[in-house]
Amino acid sequence: MIRKVSYLALGIAIGALGAGAVAQSFSALADGAYAAAADTYRQLNLFGDVFEKIRSDYVEKPDESKLIEAAINGMLSSLDPHSSYMDAKAYHEMQVQTKGEFGGLGIEVTQEDGLVKVVSPIDDTPAAKAGILSGDIIAAIDDEPTQGLTLDQAVDKMRGAINSTVRLKILRGPAKEVKEFKIVRDVIKVQSVRSRVEGDDIGYIRITQFTEQTADGLRSAMEKLRADAPGDKLKGYILDLRNNPGGLLDQSIDVANAFLDKGEIVSTRGRNPDDAQRFNARPGGDLSGGKPMVVLINGGSASASEIVAGALQDHKRATLIGTRSFGKGSVQTIMPLGQDGALRLTTARYYTPSGRSIQAKGIEPDVEILEDVPADLKGKDDAKGEASLKGHLKNGDEDTSGSQAYVPPDPKDDKQLIAAVDLLHGVKRADAASAKTGEPAPVAPPSSDSSNVAPAAGKPDATAPN
Amino acid sequence: MAFGVAFGAAIGSYAAGGATTSASVAADQLARFARVFVKVNDSYVDKPDDDKLAEAAINGMLSSLDPHSTYLDAKALADFQTTMKGEEFGGLGLEVMQEGGLIRVVSPIDDTPAARAGMMPGDVITRIDDTPVQGLTLKQAVDKMRGPAQTTVRLSVTRGADKEAKQFTIVREIIKVLPVRSRVESGDIGYIRITQFNQQTFDGLQKAMAKFREAPGEDKLKGYVLDLRNNPGGLLSEAVEVVNAFVDHGEIVSTRGRAPGQAQEYVARAGADLSEGKPLVVLINGGSASASEIVSGALQDLKRATLIGTRSFGKGSVQTVLPLGENGALKLTTARYYTPSGRSIQAKGIEPDIKVSENIPDDLKGKVDSRGEASLAGHLKNGDDEKGGSEAYVPPNPADDPQLIAAVNLLHGVTPTASAREDGGKRDAASPQRSDAPFSSSTAPAR
Repeated sequence: MIRKVSYLALGIAIGALGAGAVAQSFSALADGAYAAAADTYRQLNLFGDVFEKIRSDYVEKPDESKLIEAAINGMLSSLDPHSSYMDAKAYHEMQVQTKGEFGGLGIEVTQEDGLVKVVSPIDDTPAAKAGILSGDIIAAIDDEPTQGLTLDQAVDKMRGAINSTVRLKILRGPAKEVKEFKIVRDVIKVQSVRSRVEGDDIGYIRITQFTEQTADGLRSAMEKLRADAPGDKLKGYILDLRNNPGGLLDQSIDVANAFLDKGEIVSTRGRNPDDAQRFNARPGGDLSGGKPMVVLINGGSASASEIVAGALQDHKRATLIGTRSFGKGSVQTIMPLGQDGALRLTTARYYTPSGRSIQAKGIEPDVEILEDVPADLKGKDDAKGEASLKGHLKNGDEDTSGSQAYVPPDPKDDKQLIAAVDLLHGVKRADAASAKTGEPAPVAPPSSDSSNVAPAAGKPDATAPN
Repeated sequence: MAFGVAFGAAIGSYAAGGATTSASVAADQLARFARVFVKVNDSYVDKPDDDKLAEAAINGMLSSLDPHSTYLDAKALADFQTTMKGEEFGGLGLEVMQEGGLIRVVSPIDDTPAARAGMMPGDVITRIDDTPVQGLTLKQAVDKMRGPAQTTVRLSVTRGADKEAKQFTIVREIIKVLPVRSRVESGDIGYIRITQFNQQTFDGLQKAMAKFREAPGEDKLKGYVLDLRNNPGGLLSEAVEVVNAFVDHGEIVSTRGRAPGQAQEYVARAGADLSEGKPLVVLINGGSASASEIVSGALQDLKRATLIGTRSFGKGSVQTVLPLGENGALKLTTARYYTPSGRSIQAKGIEPDIKVSENIPDDLKGKVDSRGEASLAGHLKNGDDEKGGSEAYVPPNPADDPQLIAAVNLLHGVTPTASAREDGGKRDAASPQRSDAPFSSSTAPAR
C-alpha cells in the first residue's frame, strides 16, 4: 500500500469544540487508491449489512447521509475523548474559531454526565464579567435543558448575534446551588496574551490559550516589558499558563523558543515510526536574554501549555510553580473529508525533551503551591484531569485524583504568583552574592526531578477541557 | 477494486438491482463510511480494535434513529432471548433503557432485589460500582449489573427532576421472572397482576383464571382486575393472547410498517374467551408501556374493560429482531401499532376512563413520574399533541392503593369518586387503511 501523508503545523481545535495541540494534515489519499486489509472486510461487511437492513426495514424512510454521519460519529467517539467527527457546519465553526473571533459569551465548556460544564471563563468576556466560574454546570440555556443536547448543540445555543441576550441556569458546587445569569453576547476576540510589570521588576506574561496570534502577542509583550523595565531593571519573567487549555502546536513551539536558544522543544510519535517528528529551538529565537523565569501551571493547564512547561522544565530553563497539570499528551490531526466536514483524529503522542509522555499523568511543578480557595468554591475548582476522561489513551500508572485549577482574581491573594515573584527576587539577591564567581545563582531546589514523577495525591472533583 | 470487494453483499445487490438513484446514494454513503473506517484504521495513534470500531459505528447509527432500535451482539442476543423466554439469570431485577447516555429504570420487577431495595421507575443510574455509566453501551451496563447470585453491586442513582442523589447497595439473586401473580380480592374479585409479557405470560394467565374458577368459584366471582401498572411490555404475541382471553371477536391490534404491504392485523379467535363476560377493570399508569398498552388499548376500544389509573407511557412502536448471522442481531423499529379504533398511542399514551392517582409518600413526591416516550430524545413523532408520561407508583400495601380500591369498588357497583373522565369519552376516530398481506418478519417483540 502506498500512502503519502504530509503534516503541516496549522489548524486549531480549542474552546468549546475541543482543546489540544493540533496539526492539520492534508492527506494525499486518492479515493480508492488503498486496499482494505483482509480483516476489515468482515467488519465493513457487517456494517453494510446493518445499513442495508435499516434502509429496507426501518419504520420510516431513513436519511442515508445522516445515518452515515451518526455512524462515523459513533466510531470516532469510541476511540478517545479527543477524536471526533465534525460535519461541514462544525468544521466551518472550528475554522472560525481558529481566527479567534465569534459572537458569544466567552466560556470554555465540556460535557460531563450528559450536562454542560464550564471549563473556564475566558478573561474579560461577558461570561467572566457576569461571574461564571470554572466548574459551573449549565443546566439550561434560555429555559431549554442541556440534558440530551450534544455539546455542539449547546455551544450553538450559547453563541449568537452580538448584543443579543441569553439566559443561563447554572448549578454551582456539590450542593448544586441554582443561579440565574442573563448575559449579553459580545464579540469574543480571544486576546490570548496579557502582560504587566509585577513588583517593579518582574515581567509577568499571561497566556490564556495558543491561537494564531499568540506568538506575535508574546513578542510584543516582551518588547513592551523590556521598554517598561529596561536593561538590568527587568529581573526575570513569569509565564502564567494556569487554566490554559491548549491550542496550536506551532504556536506553543514558538512560545517555548522565545525562552530557549537551542535544544529540542517537543517530539511527536504516531503509529508509524516514520511519522515521528522533532521540533527544535531556532537559534536567535530566544528573546529572554537568559533572565531567570518561572512558569505557573495548575490542573487546568493542558496540552500546548504542557508542551511549553515541559520543555522549559526539562531544559532547566524555568522553575515550575503551582499544581500538577492536566495530562493531555496527545496530538490531534484534522483530516478534511471533502464536502463532508472533517475528522479530528488522535494521531500521535508528544514527548518532552527528556522523552516523557505526560499523557494522563501531567507535569509536576518543581514547587507545589496551593491557592486558598474561598469557602463558597471549596471543592468546586479541582480539575479531574485527562486520567479521569472515559476512554482516554492509557499511559502506565495513572492518577485519577484531581489537581487544583483555581486562580484568585486579585493578585494580592494569588499565592502562586507571590511565590513566583519571591523566587525571582530571591534569585536576584543570590545573583548579587554570586556575581563575582560568575556562576548562575542556585534556584530553589526542585521538589521532583524532571522524569516520570509519581503524581501527588489530590482531591478529584470538577472539569476537564474537551 | 479492493474496496468494492469489501462490500460483497451490499454493493453487489445494488449493482444487480440496476443503478437507481437511491441505490447509488446508498452506495456513495457506504463508500464514505469505508473511507473513514480505513483512514482511522491507518492513522489512529494506536492500532484500533476493528470489531469494537464497527460496533461503535453501528450503535452510533442506531441511536440516531429512535431510542428502541439497538444492536445486539451475540451475547446480548442470547441474554435477550433468555429474557423473552422468561428464563433465569443472576441480577437485580430491573427493566432499563438508555437515555442521554445514562441508564434509566423503566421499572423494577416485582419481588426482586432492586424492587425490595426501593428502586423506582424513572430512577437514573449514573454509576455501577465505580464505573460511570456515561460512555457505556446499554449492553455493557446491563452486563455490569448482572452477575452471580449473592454478589453485591453498588448503584449511584439520581431521582426526580432535581436529581436527588441516592446510593443502592444490592445483593444479586437469580431473577426468575414470574410474569403473572394472582389473588382473590375482597372475597369475590379475581385480581391478576402481569409484570411483563414473556413466553410464560399467557400460560400464567390461564392458570390464574383456572384457579379463580376453583376459588371463589364461577358463581361467586364478580369480576376481574387486570393490573398492568409498571409493566414495561414484551412480546406482541403474548399480548394478543391475553386480550383474547377476555374477548371472543373483534380486532385486537394492527401494525403498519413502511411499505403498504407490510401491514398486519391480529383478530380475536372465537372460543378463546375465558372470562365468561364478567366485568373487567384494567389498571394502568405511567410505567405501563408497549404490550401493556396494546392490551389496555384493545380492551378499552372494544369496551370490554374500564381503565382506571393514570396515562400510560406511550410506546406505540414494534421492534423486530433481524438476525445478523454470527454477529448477533439488529433490534429495529419496523412498525407502529394501532388500537382497534385505529389510534396510534405513540408518544401519547392511553388515557384511563377514570383517572385515579396514588397517594405518593412525601419522600417520593415528584420523583416517581414517568416522563414517557414523548420525553425520549429521538422518539418517533406522532403529531403536535404528544403527551408525556404520568406517575408510575404502586404502593406495596393494597390497603393503601386507591387505584386498586377504585377498581374493586367499581366491580362492586360503586362508582369511584376520583376526577372526571380525562377526555369526556371522545377518542381519535382515524379510519385505518388495512391490507391483509402478511408482514414478513420473525418475532415482533413489543418492548
